[in-house]
Amino acid sequence: MRIFGYLAKKVGDLTVKYSNFPESYIKRSFEQVYWKNPTGYPQYPKAVVARKRFRFTTNRPWTGQFRQQNDRDVHRKKVFLEPVGEWSFFRGDRVEIMVGKDKGKQGIVSQVIQERNWVIVEGLNTHLRTVGKDKSFPGVVIQSEAPLLVTTGVKLVDPETLKPTEIEWRYTEEGDKVRVSKASSRIIPIPKASEETIDYKSKEVYIENEQKDTKADVIAKVTFAPKLNTFEMDIMEEMGIKEDRVPAKSYWY
Amino acid sequence: MNKLTNILLRNTIALCHRSQNALLGASVVAAKKDFHTTHAAQDLMEFFDSKKNWSENNIRVGRAWKLDELRIKSNTDLHKLWYVLLKERNMLYTMEHECKEKVRLFPNPERIDKVQESMNNIETVVKERNVAYYKLETGETGERPVEDVVSLIGLPEKYEKKEYAIPQFMNTRWVRTYLENGYINSIAVKKFLRLYKEKQHNEERKARNRDFNHVQHLLKRFPDMDMEKLKAEYPNVDIEKAKRSKKARGHFFPKY
Repeated sequence: MRIFGYLAKKVGDLTVKYSNFPESYIKRSFEQVYWKNPTGYPQYPKAVVARKRFRFTTNRPWTGQFRQQNDRDVHRKKVFLEPVGEWSFFRGDRVEIMVGKDKGKQGIVSQVIQERNWVIVEGLNTHLRTVGKDKSFPGVVIQSEAPLLVTTGVKLVDPETLKPTEIEWRYTEEGDKVRVSKASSRIIPIPKASEETIDYKSKEVYIENEQKDTKADVIAKVTFAPKLNTFEMDIMEEMGIKEDRVPAKSYWY
Repeated sequence: MNKLTNILLRNTIALCHRSQNALLGASVVAAKKDFHTTHAAQDLMEFFDSKKNWSENNIRVGRAWKLDELRIKSNTDLHKLWYVLLKERNMLYTMEHECKEKVRLFPNPERIDKVQESMNNIETVVKERNVAYYKLETGETGERPVEDVVSLIGLPEKYEKKEYAIPQFMNTRWVRTYLENGYINSIAVKKFLRLYKEKQHNEERKARNRDFNHVQHLLKRFPDMDMEKLKAEYPNVDIEKAKRSKKARGHFFPKY
């Protein structure tokens, strides 16, 4: 299916990681397939009529808001994205804002939206928004953060000088890939907060579903013992199924 | 069925994310608890989730089994796990259907994908083991043989062979289609191939033009862009040529 490859390229891998969903689920949650030729018939080509262009915003692809924004008859202008190479901004990073009214302030990245080259910095670059305004109700004014482009809007902060700096990906002697500040050659570690997903803040604090989940120590147990058997032979042996019949000669063509 | 099948790894639908679970797993009791027997009531209600979950809006579970985690499990464990997953998938499909009937939201539909991914991974591992055995014993993979053939309309195709009780020359009912014809040299096929090539060529050309156009627009919007990254993303585009074009010039004085 050509369409799936096309869609898959667009959802950032950090988004997939954050969602904690299998990729197949993310795809089927936001794809809009209007027509698909039946499969298994030689006379039909693999034709799919589906939406190709989606507008990615701060709404995540699997949400209802995303679906609403990309409704069937809603078509919006193409967004041009500056190529950024390897992604180097993660949730929890300290960044300095380079544009706008909060220029020069430092803050912590609270959200990463890779599909648009955006990061959202906690409490900075904000505007006021009126929510729930009605004829009889004046609405509630809330402060909401606007996203910033990673190419021009923000820069990572050097841990030594606390000044904005360019970074570089390098390998340590142990073979780990790290971000290195160009100003002071200090390693900028990837923060713990980048592990956060919609289900848990970090892997350690994940609360198991007692009914459904397998415990980690059960998973780590090695029960495999190499044997000169196929899977089926092994299972038959285990269950005490004896089979002495010799299959008749067959021909493959 | 054997008694062993009854002893199912009840808690193996999806995994927890913890890498070290020393706190919970240290005692023997915890290890014993992981192996449950099937429900006492083996009726149609096993197609449904436990009653406790019916009113839940959010049934959160861990991730799917990974290949490396399945590779260290014995064949018997994989066999049991397969049936646990199969039952879970049946349950999920039933619940999904039931939720549709009752016009309610099915909580956490991604569970179906997680179970399916685990099942696919089990199949992969079992296949790996069988292929290893057959290669060692017979020198062949033991998989269903596949042949590269040229189809009736002259396109390359994979033909999956089938098993028959009688050899090919005796099998008069077997339709000898393109398999022994190879390339068909008819006018119709030639015409089809010509048009097909043209279509493919057009698609390539359109993709090339689309990329070139896109790069032009990028240059217009981001004149200070990192050209190496641009080159890495669009390796087939002549960036110097794109820079020279009128479309790439923005509404600003060029930097000479």
